[in-house]
Amino acid sequence: MTPSQSQSQSQTFAVPATRYRIVHVTTYEYTEPVSLCQNVAHLAARPCTHQSNSSPVLSISPEPAVIEERVDYFGNPVHYFTIQEPHRQLTVRVDHVIGVAPRPSPGPTSTPAWEAVRDRLTTDRGAAWLDAAQFAFDSRYVAAHPRYADFARPSFPPGRPVLAAALDLVHRVHAGFAFDPQATTLATPVLEVFEKRRGVCQDFAHLLLACLRSLGLAARYVSGYLCTVPPPGTPRLVGADATHAWVSLFCGDAGWVDLDPTNDQIPADRHVLLAWGRDYDDVSPLKGVILGGGQHRVKVSVDVTPTADESPA
Amino acid sequence: MPDRPSDSPPVAPAPPGYGESAGRDGVHRPHWTPLFDSLRDLGPPELVRRWREAKQLIRENGVTYNVYGDPHGTARPWQLDPIPLLIPTAEAATLERGLVQRGRLLEAVLADLYGPQRLLKDGLVPPELVFPNPGFLRPVHGMRVPAGRYLHLYAANLGRGSDGRWRVLGDRTQAPSGAGYALENRIVMTRTLPEAFRDCKVQRLAPFFQALRDTLRSLAPRNKDNPRVVLLTPGPYNETYFEHAYLARYLGYTLVEGGDLTVRDNRVYLKVLGGLQPVEVIFRRLDDDFCDPLELRPDSFLGVPGLVHAVRSGNVAVANALGTGLLETPALAAFLPALCRALLGEELALGSARTWWCGDPGSLRDVLDRLPDLVIKPTFPASRLEPAFPAELSAGQLAALVERINHRPRDYVAQERLDLSSSPVLEGDRLVSRKLVVRAYLAAQVGGGFAVMPGGLTRVSASADTTVVSMQRGGGSKDTWVLAEAEVGDFSLLPAPGGRVTLTRSGGDLPSRVADNLFWLGRYAERAEGLTRLLRGIVVRLTERPGLADCPELPALLKALADQADPKWPRPIAAGAAADPFARVFPAVYDRADPNSLVSVVASLRLVASVVRDLISLDMWRVVNTLSDFPVPADPADDDGPTPADLLDLLNRTVITLAAFGGLAAESMTRGDVWRFLDMGRKLERSLHTIGLLKATLVRPPAQEGPLLDAILEVADSAMTYRRRYRGSLRAEAVLDLVVEDETNPRSLAAQLAALADDVDHLPRPAGSAGRAPEQRFALAALGSVRLAEPDRLAAVEGETRPALAELLDHVGGWLPILSDAITQQYLSHLQTSRHLATFETPRSTGADAGGRL
Repeated sequence: MTPSQSQSQSQTFAVPATRYRIVHVTTYEYTEPVSLCQNVAHLAARPCTHQSNSSPVLSISPEPAVIEERVDYFGNPVHYFTIQEPHRQLTVRVDHVIGVAPRPSPGPTSTPAWEAVRDRLTTDRGAAWLDAAQFAFDSRYVAAHPRYADFARPSFPPGRPVLAAALDLVHRVHAGFAFDPQATTLATPVLEVFEKRRGVCQDFAHLLLACLRSLGLAARYVSGYLCTVPPPGTPRLVGADATHAWVSLFCGDAGWVDLDPTNDQIPADRHVLLAWGRDYDDVSPLKGVILGGGQHRVKVSVDVTPTADESPA
Repeated sequence: MPDRPSDSPPVAPAPPGYGESAGRDGVHRPHWTPLFDSLRDLGPPELVRRWREAKQLIRENGVTYNVYGDPHGTARPWQLDPIPLLIPTAEAATLERGLVQRGRLLEAVLADLYGPQRLLKDGLVPPELVFPNPGFLRPVHGMRVPAGRYLHLYAANLGRGSDGRWRVLGDRTQAPSGAGYALENRIVMTRTLPEAFRDCKVQRLAPFFQALRDTLRSLAPRNKDNPRVVLLTPGPYNETYFEHAYLARYLGYTLVEGGDLTVRDNRVYLKVLGGLQPVEVIFRRLDDDFCDPLELRPDSFLGVPGLVHAVRSGNVAVANALGTGLLETPALAAFLPALCRALLGEELALGSARTWWCGDPGSLRDVLDRLPDLVIKPTFPASRLEPAFPAELSAGQLAALVERINHRPRDYVAQERLDLSSSPVLEGDRLVSRKLVVRAYLAAQVGGGFAVMPGGLTRVSASADTTVVSMQRGGGSKDTWVLAEAEVGDFSLLPAPGGRVTLTRSGGDLPSRVADNLFWLGRYAERAEGLTRLLRGIVVRLTERPGLADCPELPALLKALADQADPKWPRPIAAGAAADPFARVFPAVYDRADPNSLVSVVASLRLVASVVRDLISLDMWRVVNTLSDFPVPADPADDDGPTPADLLDLLNRTVITLAAFGGLAAESMTRGDVWRFLDMGRKLERSLHTIGLLKATLVRPPAQEGPLLDAILEVADSAMTYRRRYRGSLRAEAVLDLVVEDETNPRSLAAQLAALADDVDHLPRPAGSAGRAPEQRFALAALGSVRLAEPDRLAAVEGETRPALAELLDHVGGWLPILSDAITQQYLSHLQTSRHLATFETPRSTGADAGGRL
């Protein structure tokens, strides 16, 4: 087991933060030995103003021959590791404590008109606008299409403030699409999700991105966790949580505002942010290439538990 | 032209645009005088004769260019025209200054876009050309490149407008092709027209390649004296694979595919027979986004997982740098003049053809106003959209194009259509005029700057009325002669320049994939030979003695032919087919759908040979190319199809050609691993062939065995020896002794197995490994059982069969596949391919917040 230290970004907040302990374990089992395995992991939380992140303890078995941490193009911490000894099982466990403070979000009607944001994205070369502009284009999983623009347009009448319009669109996605883990896989294209009207959080995030970008707006894919609270009277099930995905929309001078189409809300202090990029491909928690292995089976368990601790056990 | 006075126009009528060899007045330009004088001295018949020889040389050398989507197979012979393009000294110097400045400028743009991106902030490059650009590789952003150099080999396509000025039509910054073809063109030209080459004082190409080689060596992060440089190719199906193999051999690099390399401990290694060997520099012909399926395109099967991180760690250098494809957007040309002033403080010396990026509203209006004068290109070449020529479109097509452009203007670039210059081209025995484009090459120089190739690849349009110049569209090429003022010294890359080399005899660094291909090269060569000899044995009998009744040995031979077929593709030997025995032979020769037909085996032989081209001698390669001229009739059974005599002639020629291949392998290859794997393939295949032949014929002997024994001696190429030893007396035990047991007969089964055992003994093994390896034991088992057999017992008939012979053949035939597997297991097994953990993690949220709305 190799713990890997990441820089601590402890911060103090005016508003008390809710603190979560997060344990995320991924296990791969292979029918044949894997002789070489190379991986890129987005499992540590990026620094941001509303979160205080402990150093994540990353434990990998078998022990990696190489493990290195760096910051990717989008500013996310990323681990590169390789396993060079034959193995039939790979376990990647990350354990960290993250404090999340509620974020003030701008009043939806006080944000600029959506066309104003769209147009200024193509002309303004200021740092904030240029940074936002890169999230306005097609990416591997999300490509603009007139059908998405047509779908989104009823929410975007001329002159409507961009956040108000986007919240209306989020509401319509939530109301019009069914959550169905059986309906899609990672490989399902967004257009198919759009036609089937079913999918999971990642599909809805990609769909919302496709709609917003088809209108010329800039929006990014956010990967993280959601703390699920059990119904009153039932115990919290360990491992019942999962990784989550939502969207962040650039609202011009009003900044970036997160939108969760799966839950029809603006994330507050129960969404824990890990990383952002243009789509899933930029920030997938774990991706790898193996040599050998035969058939493989994957198990993922995520626990997000409110805690008083400062750091992982 | 030679039969005209030298002051009259060589080409008539002069086409519109600039004439390279003559002005509008028809008077040829002075720098062409030495060439025309020399051609006149030569005379048209001699020129035509020499050119026929040159084309033969090109074909035998296997110079090809693969055309995507070509229904007639992919490899097309390289098209070269004997009249070079001449560029005078002063003009070449001006071009050189402009090209070097352009190279410096492009590197400065790359350094910024993969670094601070000030050009975006300052509005000098639109973000729309960078952020959505498939060539903008975010994982390599911020990576340091050795000596700050990105473009180690850069190419620019040049066209000359009617005003006589050269302009850049396109930049190739990623992995430019064609430098090797330029070199091959030069070699053919100096052999074909040595007098003209001398008279024109042509500058040599070798110093350019020397500069490239020095630069690539200087990139090595360690082992700088003798770094391992590999040339990474996408493989034999790439359009310019010939060139990859050619350059690898010329520059002295190992030609590798992605699967030959592996990353361990952040370092890149070449998988060789003896294990893993470190690689310091990768000269790539693979597009950068395909180079690493882990961090770049996940759907690439051509790359090396972990390569990006190895580069990031500084343990290996890649040339051109990863990410350089970013600048292949034709839109960049519109911004280069301003970029040149901002980054270099200079005016752009060598401009581009006028370019508009439609993402700019003003430019879009201009473009739509003057569409017929323009060519429309996709902003990102990765989109693989073909350029559109509005002048050639119907009204409907034009409207559709305008609609596409208006839908997302930033996806389109417009470029003015130059009225390209023309130059004479030999067609038959006369000169005609063709439009041309020149690809110029620059190599980064150690210490800074660029060396410009004094030459380049000139491409000409396919016909007089075509103004589009493209190899994919069937155009041809020319050598490009940059003339010198003074005499040109001799300089060749072929002897090692400077420095001492460590003497070595092993080279024990054969990539495992290549060893595998050599093994199969040997097998296919031998399979083709065995099959041809058997077919010849049958066809000879059919032509000499038509009718099966005259030929008691024929059924057994036809059975051998049927047994040799793939079980999934049986060749029936039903007696009913006796009416026309040729009908059974034709499919075994010509049926492309049958993987074991002669034409299929020869095709496989050529494919495998093309993959190991850089390891076999030029002569062996020529032999293989001669074979692939195999004529295949549309319907062999047709009346116009080949006659038995034609077929016999073909088989005779094929036997001789294959024998030449075997002879070259035996005589001209050093006994290293390359030869050994080839030889093991041959010996294994010949053993299997002999076993198959004997099983089909002598295990159940016909009543009258003499003619069959004769046929077997013939097919096994042992008839001569037999006659010398036994005169005319045909005895089964004597035939079996010669064909199975006699190790002095190089065609006998025992000789094959003895050679196999010897080959296996010499394979690389870890130092200090004790005892015999499995493959050694299996080879000895097969050899031992043959050595212990007695010819008299083998020949003994019990009932209708020869049980001892059957047992021996089954026994040895059983060991051979086991031996083959053991060799694969031990030496070739790390050839397995990488794959993604497809669903490494699915972010499946439990969805709707169980706690209700917040």
